[in-house]
Amino acid sequence: MEAKFTEAYQKVAEEGKETDCEKVAKLLNSMVDDEASAEEQTFFNSHIEECVSCFESHQKQKLLKGLVSGHLKRVIVPESLVLAIKARIQ
Amino acid sequence: MSEQTGKQLSKEEKDARFEAELLPVLDPLYNFAYRLTLDEDDANDLVQETYLKAYRFFDYFEQGTNAKAWLFRILKNSFINEFRKKSKQPAKVDYSEVEGYYNSEDVEGESGVATTTDMRTESVQDLIGDEVASALNALPVDFRTVIILCDLEGFTYEEMAKILDIPIGTVRSRLHRARNSLKEKLEKYAKNMGYNS
Ligand SMILES: [Zn+2]
Repeated sequence: MEAKFTEAYQKVAEEGKETDCEKVAKLLNSMVDDEASAEEQTFFNSHIEECVSCFESHQKQKLLKGLVSGHLKRVIVPESLVLAIKARIQ
Repeated sequence: MSEQTGKQLSKEEKDARFEAELLPVLDPLYNFAYRLTLDEDDANDLVQETYLKAYRFFDYFEQGTNAKAWLFRILKNSFINEFRKKSKQPAKVDYSEVEGYYNSEDVEGESGVATTTDMRTESVQDLIGDEVASALNALPVDFRTVIILCDLEGFTYEEMAKILDIPIGTVRSRLHRARNSLKEKLEKYAKNMGYNS
């Protein structure tokens, strides 16, 4: 009876505990956005050296950010706009 | 404001400072307005309104502080408070841009007709840019906003929190969800084009 209870308890504890892969997944954005702390960076980088699937997730996240920052076309400001602004503040 | 010893700026001085400090932000600001409204005329109006407000409150703007973030914040507030109310729909979606790879169930009521023939003549770079734009434009405006601010304009999470008036934790979670839906849409495109991710 008591053993069963302990077993169940351990299971709950395990489920509540984050794996390193889960921690890394949560850090993906901070990493690609350069918002991770030094500590987080160290943890992240050492994990992806050993874990192929997290390494790949990181590559994909960098690619996704690069698609927007590198490929989204900027619209050209109409020349009349700056004139209109200057005229309206007179 | 430290200097100025309490005396008011002349109109000429104020205008010169205003133009020197705030007009350089015109390009990113217009692009942001366009990505919010998805309409060039609306973007034009929104940017003009933003600069008029900025001019009115320019005395409160501290020289040397983050002009870009300040203007983006004014624009985003104008968009929410007035602009969205004025237009009947929350935000127009240019379906002609979206069409081509979305299934009818993805864009409610709009049937996606594949129009990929003329795309072949475009360069690959243009093609990717168009797909990213379509996927982005199909996102809810709050998701679109955080991606634009972060990836296109390079604002930090802290700056985004100030521009959007939300806690930094909300910036993180919104960005997380926004990127996940963008990823989903782009993966769908890749699949429809016959690529495997
Ligand atoms: Zn892992």
